[in-house]
Amino acid sequence: MTTGSANAKPGFLTSAIRVFDLSLGQMLWSRRSVFLAILVGGPVLLAAAIRFALAVQPGALPRVNGAVVNGAAMFGMMIWLLYIRFIVPVLGVFYGTSLIADEIDDKTITYLFVRPIPRAAILVGKYLSYLMCTVLLVLPSVVIVYFLVVPIAGGGIGGEFLSLLADLGMLAAGLAAYGAVFALVGARVKRPLVVGLVFAFGWEPAVLIFPGYLKRATVAYYLQALVPHAMPQDSAVSVLMQIFQEVPSVAVSLASLAGITIATLWLAGRAVEAREYVLEQ
Amino acid sequence: MTSRTRYFVVTSLLVLAVGLGTGLVAYFVGFPTNALTRAGGPDELRFIPRNATLVAYANVTDVMTSQLREHLRQVLPSEPNGRREFEEQTGINIETDIDRVLACIAPSLDGSSAIPGVGLILARGRFNDVKIESLMRDHGATVEDYKGVRLIVAPRESRTDSPAGSPRSGLHEDFSIAFIEPGLLAIGSGPLVRHAVDLRAGGDNVTANEELMGLVESLESGNVWAVGRFDVLAGQARLPGDLASRLPAITWFSATGLVNGGISGVLRAEARDEAAAENLRDVIRGFVALAKMQAGSKPEILAMVQSLQLGGTGKTVALSFDVPEAVFELLGQAAANRAFPGK
Repeated sequence: MTTGSANAKPGFLTSAIRVFDLSLGQMLWSRRSVFLAILVGGPVLLAAAIRFALAVQPGALPRVNGAVVNGAAMFGMMIWLLYIRFIVPVLGVFYGTSLIADEIDDKTITYLFVRPIPRAAILVGKYLSYLMCTVLLVLPSVVIVYFLVVPIAGGGIGGEFLSLLADLGMLAAGLAAYGAVFALVGARVKRPLVVGLVFAFGWEPAVLIFPGYLKRATVAYYLQALVPHAMPQDSAVSVLMQIFQEVPSVAVSLASLAGITIATLWLAGRAVEAREYVLEQ
Repeated sequence: MTSRTRYFVVTSLLVLAVGLGTGLVAYFVGFPTNALTRAGGPDELRFIPRNATLVAYANVTDVMTSQLREHLRQVLPSEPNGRREFEEQTGINIETDIDRVLACIAPSLDGSSAIPGVGLILARGRFNDVKIESLMRDHGATVEDYKGVRLIVAPRESRTDSPAGSPRSGLHEDFSIAFIEPGLLAIGSGPLVRHAVDLRAGGDNVTANEELMGLVESLESGNVWAVGRFDVLAGQARLPGDLASRLPAITWFSATGLVNGGISGVLRAEARDEAAAENLRDVIRGFVALAKMQAGSKPEILAMVQSLQLGGTGKTVALSFDVPEAVFELLGQAAANRAFPGK
């Protein structure tokens, strides 16, 4: 004989937290974590290498096109080129699309679906564990890079602190938005990784260089408006981006990113609730 | 949550908390980043007064022995008149006698700064004291002793060319040279040279100016650099009201360059606030984009324009550039073609 409380179906939030708790460890200590560690460790190693090189040869400051750059400018460049244009979209694609797709590939989704919890709570719990996992890896990596790079050439740690805070907030918002978008892709599309890569590295950069309204259908458009550093002109594409640059206000960008995150997560939850996943034998 | 997951979360949060805490303390109370590195700038900075509005440095040996200088000498073989005149007057050969030069502009020490300040040049090198003194004496200079240093004072000239009532009218300028240390020559206005002699024994010099020194440390990689207060210099320059009101709201500016085969460097400006910086960035961005489009048909300009990089965060606006040696070769060819069109 069972009691009534034991039979009670857990609420959405409780279920999501239980799934989050279970998934965080799985996500952190999976084979994919090696890839994640390399990705966020790369900038730290690069910054350490720059500091080491400067300790050995103090006059050998890094240059861009032959011109000397100071620590703050170098940090801004690393944020743009490494984190915004590469690490954040890549983490979003690889982790976001795999939230449900991995369970399908491993044929373990049935075990989750037979639990007496809302299906959407599984997705939300997994999404929260993705967010926790990536935020706790990316943000400390940025902080370490900041302390290694900004003091180069007399840069002040205090002087650039507000831009560091803006960077951390912007990266967290970017991880949240990209993760939610790719969670939707993972929940709805059969080959989510391909679609995700095409979106992040095909659609977004292509649309951003053209004038018009299409760029509003990207995450990067709103994310780049929050970056406190000037966009580096590292390629012809960057020059075109600057010519046609149309920067939304911070409030609009934050509201849009929040809207994208909530809307895509809700749609992903609905897709998981409604879709019949057929496991290949 | 397993214990190793918990350790990971705690470690990550700890790194974040320590980093943000340190940054916060540095933001509010300042953090001496130069405590981790040596104080920057050339040693001669200790002879520059603290209130200097412009400080400039050149490593003359680097510049004179650079490939660029050699190339320019081939393109422009005639020796500049100014250098020859300076050598005749003082006996100093800029090319061979001077290793490095530090110059400054500072307001008058008595506070009566009516002109854009008074100047001082500190030259480090190998000087023939006797020859310099004798040549200066030949030109009417007198020699006096000031705190144990021989001070060569050139005759005073009354600025009669300035209109009556102008700040310059009736002003007497006093040009002096002093051998402050073996191999260190101070040239400039009398009061500043005397003040440099005073600073030998210590005192309030420019190294105590944290704002300026912070910029100087960031410029050390170049063999020529300058840093100054744009607003103060612009205010003293007595520009026409219309022009003065159109100047960007810049407080500090700095420029650094590395002269070797070509010239590479960074121009940096500290705007009054972030909005002013963004405006300035927009203006420069527009000019750079326009220049990149316009320079397509001129290969000698295109390489230079393509190297322009706009950067900076917050109130800082930075523009880096790189003019490779090939650009000077192409400009030389273009000048030669214009001079001898049939060739």
